[in-house]
Amino acid sequence: MAKVLMKGNEAIGEAAIRAGCKNYFAYPITPQSEVAEYLVKRLPEVDGVFLQGESEVAVGYMIFGAAGAGERVMTTSSSPGISLMSEAISYIAAAQCPAVFVNIVRCGPGLGGILPAQGDYFQATKGGGHGDYHLLVLAPDGVQEAVEMTMQAFTLAEKYRGPVMILGDGLIGQMMEPVEFPEDLATAPSNKDDWATNGMSTRKSKKRNLVKSLYLDPTELNAHNLNLKAKYDQMKREEIQFEAYNADADYKVLITSYGTMSRVCRTAIDLLKEEGIEVAMLRPKTLFPFPEKAVFEAATKKSCKSVISIEMSMGQMVEDVERCVKGQRPVEFYGECGGDIPSPEKIIDIIKAMI
Amino acid sequence: MNIDIKGIVIIVGNYGSGKTETAVNLAAKSRLRGMAVKIADLDLVNPYFRTREARVSLEKLGVEVVLPDKRYMHADLPILAPAVAGMILQPSELTILDAGGDDVGVTVLAALGDQLRKKKVQMLQVINPLRPFTETIEGCLRIKGEIEISSKLAVTGLVSNANLIDETTPEIIYEGYRFIKEVSQTTGLPIEFITASSRMIPHLDMDRFSCPVLTIDRKLVFPWTKH
Repeated sequence: MAKVLMKGNEAIGEAAIRAGCKNYFAYPITPQSEVAEYLVKRLPEVDGVFLQGESEVAVGYMIFGAAGAGERVMTTSSSPGISLMSEAISYIAAAQCPAVFVNIVRCGPGLGGILPAQGDYFQATKGGGHGDYHLLVLAPDGVQEAVEMTMQAFTLAEKYRGPVMILGDGLIGQMMEPVEFPEDLATAPSNKDDWATNGMSTRKSKKRNLVKSLYLDPTELNAHNLNLKAKYDQMKREEIQFEAYNADADYKVLITSYGTMSRVCRTAIDLLKEEGIEVAMLRPKTLFPFPEKAVFEAATKKSCKSVISIEMSMGQMVEDVERCVKGQRPVEFYGECGGDIPSPEKIIDIIKAMI
Repeated sequence: MNIDIKGIVIIVGNYGSGKTETAVNLAAKSRLRGMAVKIADLDLVNPYFRTREARVSLEKLGVEVVLPDKRYMHADLPILAPAVAGMILQPSELTILDAGGDDVGVTVLAALGDQLRKKKVQMLQVINPLRPFTETIEGCLRIKGEIEISSKLAVTGLVSNANLIDETTPEIIYEGYRFIKEVSQTTGLPIEFITASSRMIPHLDMDRFSCPVLTIDRKLVFPWTKH
């Protein structure tokens, strides 16, 4: 199929349809409302359903219901909306239901502002909701990657029977880029007969299924949590994605950055290279599981003297970077979180001050 | 062939069709040809990539830019600057109103109806056939109808803005021209002009077009673009 020009938000909507998702529930919030605007037009064309919830709290449980019934389902929201959904996300993770959540992040905390930010890294990777659970978190750096990750998200959600999150800042949602929809990323829905409440009449087995997160017996609950942990450990073995940029060079500084911010860093690295200054970037594409080994190896390359995490936040992913570098190199941080995206020139000045 | 558009011009089109780049470049090019130009940002629905982001470069050229109060620049609130009604009452040689996308984005025009009805206005529909919902003639007609109902105004002309941003090829522009001619034949509306980025212009055979070509110098760029 030829390329089309799409906003990230529209492309995420179309990618969900191409991935076989026919259930989309949401509540509008800037800067991601175009997903709903797009899907309200497109879903009827594929016999799909769009329902606007009364609030994000309601939407979270609508997702739980549809996922528990074995349907491919997605919601999209932005930071404060995800906060409201976080209780349901914890329930969905505990009840082991596949669902896709998209967070097009705006500036926080509180109402913050509508411009792009990366201040929801902790919320996405360290919980957000309560209890011992993780989301598998994918962070696209552009519209094409947002398409591919959204399509993959449905497959991953079913593989691990749990919630998967696409974490994109506002610019990923708002900007337009040429995109195509790779057909090979669309997968057939998995067989959910052994766990989902998908209706006795639709399946051969007469076993009754129960979707729940309540375990009153301590031994049983501990076993349940060990089962969840085993899934997160498997993600760490099988799902890590990252990009190493200019990593073959004898770089003195390693940048860690993701999403929109990484594209600015890429330009800065290209411009520094023209001046004869070698800098590399390690860009996690999965924020959970985090590319721990790749960060450690890139940071401890012989030529590398120091590491800097550059984010549109006040310092969040840097904590994971520090954890992975294990004190082998100094780890610095630069961040802005008001909506202005640091320019390549700003990044160049910061790097030059480090060497 | 020069673009000879004067008076009050409203730029409409489906969401993401390139209205703002078209409006901003039409303002800049007309000003460079010596016209007195005013432009107003009426996009109340789009949170990013609006006329307001090209304010500085337009003002340097001497284009008068009417925007909501600075304090509300980054609010997703439907704020209409009172100066907009004023500029319709006292238009300059070229007065451009850059509307928001789809039917929702032009609802504001109905609110300006009292002022607009007393004037002769042109309303140009910008079409990029590589955008969702306007890849067919029927899609373009549907959007046109919805915009006309919401704005209570009629579309008077067409603009082809066929592009894939940095991945645009001459074929895309030729195909966009072929497409807009079909829309023109179906609707009876004239093609006012087509657009092409300054990067594309040297690669185009201008003899293939029987309408003016507006050169687009991208004003709304990504933060990682090399300067």
